[in-house]
Amino acid sequence: MTEVARAGRSAPATRTAGLAAWAVPASLALALVGLGLSIYLTVEHYTAPGSLACPVGDAVDCAQVTTSAQSKFLRIPVAVLGIVHFATMLALCLPMLWRRMDRRLWQARLGVAGLGVLFVIYLIFAELFIIEAICLWCTAVHLVAFGLFAVVVLASAMADPSPFDKR
Amino acid sequence: MTEPRLAAMARSARSVARERAERARQARERAARRARRIRTAWWVVAAAPAFVALLVLIRVAIPDAPTGGADGDRQLSSAVIAALRPDPSLLDSVGRGQGVTPPTPIADQPPLTADGKPLVLYVGAEYCPFCASQRWPLAIALSRFGSFTGLTASRSARDDVYPNTATISFHGSTYVSEYLAFQGVELATNERQGRRYKPLDTLTPEQEAVVNTYNAPPYAAQAGSIPFLDFGNRFLQTGASVSPQLLAGLSHDEIAAEIVNNPDGPVAQAILGSANAFTAALCVLTDGQPGEVCDSPAAAAYQAEVGR
Repeated sequence: MTEVARAGRSAPATRTAGLAAWAVPASLALALVGLGLSIYLTVEHYTAPGSLACPVGDAVDCAQVTTSAQSKFLRIPVAVLGIVHFATMLALCLPMLWRRMDRRLWQARLGVAGLGVLFVIYLIFAELFIIEAICLWCTAVHLVAFGLFAVVVLASAMADPSPFDKR
Repeated sequence: MTEPRLAAMARSARSVARERAERARQARERAARRARRIRTAWWVVAAAPAFVALLVLIRVAIPDAPTGGADGDRQLSSAVIAALRPDPSLLDSVGRGQGVTPPTPIADQPPLTADGKPLVLYVGAEYCPFCASQRWPLAIALSRFGSFTGLTASRSARDDVYPNTATISFHGSTYVSEYLAFQGVELATNERQGRRYKPLDTLTPEQEAVVNTYNAPPYAAQAGSIPFLDFGNRFLQTGASVSPQLLAGLSHDEIAAEIVNNPDGPVAQAILGSANAFTAALCVLTDGQPGEVCDSPAAAAYQAEVGR
């Protein structure tokens, strides 16, 4: 059994990952911004009055997007899914978890970030081809999700030593 | 120094050198793996925005093909025409109904009139599912004070929420009443034209002034949303009074049958209850005329809300 594998299975890993200095603050900041934007969009979703109304707007029209059929996924508002995503990322990007040489933890962080980006791509597809309107607040969330994904992927690749090193 | 000891020292030195060489080789391999990881990471990071850019390019390149709405025959069936003028006893029995959002009174506004009569202004669009559910109770309530001609069958857009909600359209219709004036404006059809829907009716400058004033904060939470109803500047309804969810999957004739034959069902409770709320508001505009309508239990159901 390799040391990394042992570290992954045993409770607290003793080795500390060599991280780029920007990894922790950048990921935490992006997760916090994403969480804040998602909370705002969720509050808007649940408190928007006149919910039994059709917005009349231009191509850049948040209401048209946030009241569309695609604003829910499996009956769950996508803004709520955004909260879940960014809250999970916030937890996974805490300094103590970044420093742990736990391969499964790092895989989980990459997986959640990747899942977020895949969902964002679906939402952008829906905005462009189904709803045919763009929500600037949603676009801000999409950019944050892309940024967080980039930070997590690059920081994971640059870590030296890394939990992904074969030993 | 003895020969065996010298030999041992030489072996030890060779062993140290081998270990150092091995460590250096491992370090080189680790550095190479890290370099490969970083290169892969950059490709992965670049792939996501590149894919989005491709989507945007495709969207820009694709011409906006018009997509037909789910119109079908626009002729109203006799069952629908009958349901729009239900027996008054049916309205009386439903009373307040269920699932109804009544219009909101507004105070101290200049009266909205046309041809010397209180004016009811409706602004909606055929694609809008909330307008679709709103037209049923509105047409029923107005039919108690006058009569429509030229109403047609329509459906909300098939690519929006509550797709294909069966409804009627006010576009091209005429309303005649000795008590009230009615203007129904359908801003767009249910057919796509580019990124919007094909325009239909245009607001007159007078209607636009009403919409700009009363379909905007503080009277409406979201400026310009539809359906919008102004009852003579005495009552406003922004957003639908009845959810289109109730009508999901029902045809025009099935909705008509629900209204006429199933007064305890959710469709009749909502549509007829909302019609009674509108009737109560209209009776305020007409000063209680005609008596057989405004003195009925149906009109009394929402008396408290309209302040009669």
